[in-house]
Amino acid sequence: MTPGTRPIVRVTHRFNAPAERVFDSWLDPKTAGRWLFATPTGRMVRVEIDARIGGQFIIVERRGAEDIEHRGEYLDIDRPRRLIFTFGVPKYSRDMTRVCVGILPRETGCELTLTHEGVLPEFTDRTNAGWMEILAKLAADLA
Amino acid sequence: MIERRAAPLDRVFQALADPTRRAMLRRLAKREQSIGELAAPFRMTFAAASKHVKVLERARLLRRRIQGRSHFCRLEPASFAAAVGWLRFYERFWTGQLAALDAVLRTEDTDAAISSGKKGENT
Repeated sequence: MTPGTRPIVRVTHRFNAPAERVFDSWLDPKTAGRWLFATPTGRMVRVEIDARIGGQFIIVERRGAEDIEHRGEYLDIDRPRRLIFTFGVPKYSRDMTRVCVGILPRETGCELTLTHEGVLPEFTDRTNAGWMEILAKLAADLA
Repeated sequence: MIERRAAPLDRVFQALADPTRRAMLRRLAKREQSIGELAAPFRMTFAAASKHVKVLERARLLRRRIQGRSHFCRLEPASFAAAVGWLRFYERFWTGQLAALDAVLRTEDTDAAISSGKKGENT
């Protein structure tokens, strides 16, 4: 078993809203229920967020006749700059992945960088960050 | 065979985690190469190169053709495409999520502006 060989996905988004407001949108059940793990045709049926380190969240959306449960645990809550939680969809996989949300306040609004590590926490290895770049570069060569 | 079906992506990512193997793939993108040719730029032994080739082969990123005593390696892009597709799925998923959050915040702003407008404040 080689540690850190599973991939990392990273996306960035610039918000006009201040860092605190963007941060709270992840943990306030009312706001989170409007977007987090929501799909355009689904209906949110359960949003439980225990917003403290070690606390759990359960977000269930009904898609057609199917209930999809997203669950995880908060590993770090550092308002407004950092939120780290595990995340899994038990129905699809027993794997728990890890999501790190970093928020940098800007002169107006803020910049959010989300890193999704498709690894178990103990296999995390920062040196293997940037899988998209590595693959994109290779893909360009292979094209 | 069961094992090959069980975790192909893990195997692909494991193979791609090594910079030497990635460099080998880049060279193979240009043309088929013998193991000796693959080893040459890395100042490594034939045995070491052969080990890397085996890892790439197991990940089905590479196909080997044996001609006499020489082994020629050729790129097999299908596994690679699967890995890219898998990552793109998550990239799109989270891009969509953040766009949805942005939309929620903007809607809240618009609602707030409308309700404050109703109180007699314009703009």
